[in-house]
Amino acid sequence: MDLHRLGIKVFCAEHGPLDLPDLIPVFHRFIQGSSLEGLLIDVADYSHVHHGPGILLIAHEGNYALDGSAGRRGLVYYAKRHSGGTLAERLATVCRRALMACRTLAEQPEFAHRLVFSGEEIQLFANDRLLAPNTDRTLAALRPALEALCDRLYRHRTWGITRNGAEPERFSVTLRASAPIGIDDLLTHLGD
Amino acid sequence: MTWKDRLAGTTAPELAREIDIFETQIDLKKQGKVEDRLFAETRLRRGVYGQRYDNGQRHDGVGVRALRFPAETLTKGPETLWDAPGMQRIKIPFGGLTPEQMGVLADISEEYSDGICHVTTRQDIQLHYVHIEDTPDLMRRLAAVGITTREACGNSVRNVTACPIAGVCREESFDVSAYARACAKFLLGHPDTQDFGRKFKVAFSGCQHRACGLVSMHDLGFIARTRWNDGVPQRGFEVYVGGGLGAVPYQAKLFDEFVPEQEILPLAQAISRVFARLGEKRNRGRARIKFLLEKLGIEAFRELVLAERAALPEDDRWTALIRDATMQAPSSPTPAGVGPSDAPAPGLRSWQATNVYAQKQAGYAVVTVTLPLGDATAWQMRRLADLARRYAGGDVRTTVEQNIVLRFVAERDVPALHRALADIGLGEIGAGAISDVTACPGTDTCKLGIASSRGLAGELRQRLSAKFEGLDPAVQGLHIKISGCFNSCGQHHLADLGFYGVSRKVAGTTVPHFRVVLGGQWEKNAGSYGLTIGAVPSKRIPDLVERLTQKYLSEREVQEPFRDFIGRIGKQALKPLLDELAVVPPYQVDRSFYSDWRDPREFTVSDIGTGECAGQVVSRIDFDLQSAERRYFESQLHYDRGDYRLADDTAYAAMLEAAQALIRTQFQDMSGEPDTVVGEFRARFCDTEVFYDVYAGAKFAHYLLARHADRDRRYSQERARLLIEETQLFIEAAYACHTRLLEKGPQGRIPSMAATPAAHP
Repeated sequence: MDLHRLGIKVFCAEHGPLDLPDLIPVFHRFIQGSSLEGLLIDVADYSHVHHGPGILLIAHEGNYALDGSAGRRGLVYYAKRHSGGTLAERLATVCRRALMACRTLAEQPEFAHRLVFSGEEIQLFANDRLLAPNTDRTLAALRPALEALCDRLYRHRTWGITRNGAEPERFSVTLRASAPIGIDDLLTHLGD
Repeated sequence: MTWKDRLAGTTAPELAREIDIFETQIDLKKQGKVEDRLFAETRLRRGVYGQRYDNGQRHDGVGVRALRFPAETLTKGPETLWDAPGMQRIKIPFGGLTPEQMGVLADISEEYSDGICHVTTRQDIQLHYVHIEDTPDLMRRLAAVGITTREACGNSVRNVTACPIAGVCREESFDVSAYARACAKFLLGHPDTQDFGRKFKVAFSGCQHRACGLVSMHDLGFIARTRWNDGVPQRGFEVYVGGGLGAVPYQAKLFDEFVPEQEILPLAQAISRVFARLGEKRNRGRARIKFLLEKLGIEAFRELVLAERAALPEDDRWTALIRDATMQAPSSPTPAGVGPSDAPAPGLRSWQATNVYAQKQAGYAVVTVTLPLGDATAWQMRRLADLARRYAGGDVRTTVEQNIVLRFVAERDVPALHRALADIGLGEIGAGAISDVTACPGTDTCKLGIASSRGLAGELRQRLSAKFEGLDPAVQGLHIKISGCFNSCGQHHLADLGFYGVSRKVAGTTVPHFRVVLGGQWEKNAGSYGLTIGAVPSKRIPDLVERLTQKYLSEREVQEPFRDFIGRIGKQALKPLLDELAVVPPYQVDRSFYSDWRDPREFTVSDIGTGECAGQVVSRIDFDLQSAERRYFESQLHYDRGDYRLADDTAYAAMLEAAQALIRTQFQDMSGEPDTVVGEFRARFCDTEVFYDVYAGAKFAHYLLARHADRDRRYSQERARLLIEETQLFIEAAYACHTRLLEKGPQGRIPSMAATPAAHP
């Protein structure tokens, strides 16, 4: 499937209050230091919107956000432009970018011990209703690539894939491992 | 499979063809076969707009950095890089939306934008951070549900707006929705609207006294009227022409007290022809129809239009479109009501007080959904569409206050709808009230933005919402509107408390400020415009709002509206407050003043090293420009006292003083004689284009040159008001020019003219 508009959400736990506008200076700093992959362009503040994209770090290839959709905060990365490689490679790329962003964000002094990402539950979505409507058929078509991704991420753990919601919501699945796993481990597994 | 294949046969053939042509133009541009300016206007006419940083330059708080997009040399307009994200404006005639359309807007905002649907101050929907190559599919998906983006931007007829409660209003003459629809359809792509020098905005209102469609600020406005002929009602419109906000706001002039309904389309066509033929084309700053009106006078303009009307070839669409549109209009409420909810959500009563309006149709209500800063997520938009189907028979409108209204809600369903809205985070009270702050995109995404209008709006909204229910009703009902620059997209002229972004140099560092505009009138179709009283640092605006509203409450007379209060106490009484709040603490004392709301970047970090607080050197030009400001302020006082001649002359003197301030940076010993000042100014700052604004060009310089050339000036209240507005913009331009020269350093000077009188005619 020639699907490019793929996204990942890695959920986080907050230990202590975190106001979304706290992210704004951090994302500006990421732009100054080119701290994340991609051509980082600007910061968009949607902290006033209920369960919205929160604070976005706009990039050319894809956007990063500390997102609050469905009432759960998490780091989102979604690709916007076409990129090369196979579907499996593209999945791995968005996954790696999201996980790298989680790690970088959690390392910031403002968020030390306050923002903790965990890897055992990851949401994957497709922003493309033409190629990937939210149907069982899409899941069937994507399943081999998703299973390969889960094998790679979760290694010897058992895992499951569940499709979320229904049309007209975009296609989305939750990848869930049977045991907790950290961001660093996931990145290590992806890098192998 | 592509969207073009998928949607084949679902879209009107002419719409599909237009989009195919646009896609071809994109391909041709990529091949280098279309010239930049032509392509820019082409895409603008499809609603594909530029966005901030699309020239590939961005100040990241440390320095200006290049944004190295993959297609480094490909452009989509002059100094506009191909890969830079842009804005897509989507026209929503009279704000009318169906649930199906809302669903598609939600989908495309998620797939091509940032997941946010933004309602604008002219009832459009805007999507940001869109890549140009995604726009043809985006347009196809919209076209499939009957939405076109054609002529959403560019020198064309923009979205035709109308009162969002048209058809359900208790006080309207009649429902104007059908006429707005017909007018939008008639003028869209019409051959007589393709050669304008500037944009053209049309609005419809159902009544005279409420805000409704804000007719007075539009190029062409229609207010519904019913005339009785031998006991038979005849529908028609009071027609206004030549209004507009922009840098200098103009009130529309009455063109005709009654134009029968079947005549409005040919009249609009005739006006379009006259505007296309006689309107300014070269100088964008003078190209709106308001300037043509000013030049010709309303009587001469009317004669030209009526002559044009008489010569128009008959067109069946003049009546057919009106007939078709009125037949489409709902004649009776459709939903029957789905019954009460289990239990009301908290805050129902307060919410009903501000967000629910009883329709003229007994038993039905309009519910306004307060969208914070005009934003709704894709998910919220889909849920709203569901709620519109369930509770409102699918009858939805966007509003110029950046909200959404659901109409024909059965009154017994209101509590259930409130609960459902609260569940999706849209149950906020205060629609159209002080906490419901309106703002244009400003520096968030607009190329012209000077200060962060949305950042300030977000801050004010947060503070005012938190204490809204404790506010005095007289304060609750005030309007705050914010623009990021003088162009008035946030409609600051119409607010009780209006603000627009400017900047000031403080000890060598740029500090974001907002000009304060008080006493505008939202009601009576934008009945009158506020006047600017001074500039305050951005970070002090919340304090200003607090102090001004307190002053109003403590000093107002019984039942005195805010606008009357401002008029009564006068600007002189407000000046001490403004002066107090205008003080900017030194950088080392409080750095927060040197960055904008919700944006931690310092404007000119590189300047701070040399211009810090202790050794502040205030140059003469700072004093001179301040003096020009003071004189400008005096002109306002003269105006308020009704001495329009003195107000006019004083404003002119203020402009001369500001020009002189700039000239003195190069030629200290010049005389203050007006001919000399203007001659020097022309030679040093106009011929060299040093004074010209990057976007407005010669517009601001023209204000001084035109007033100086007007030797036999005919004084009037209107002329004085316009000149005062122009003076304030001229002074702002002088500040901006000074800042630009400072930032250029010594090479920004003009050495050959440095110390001697410039040669000028």
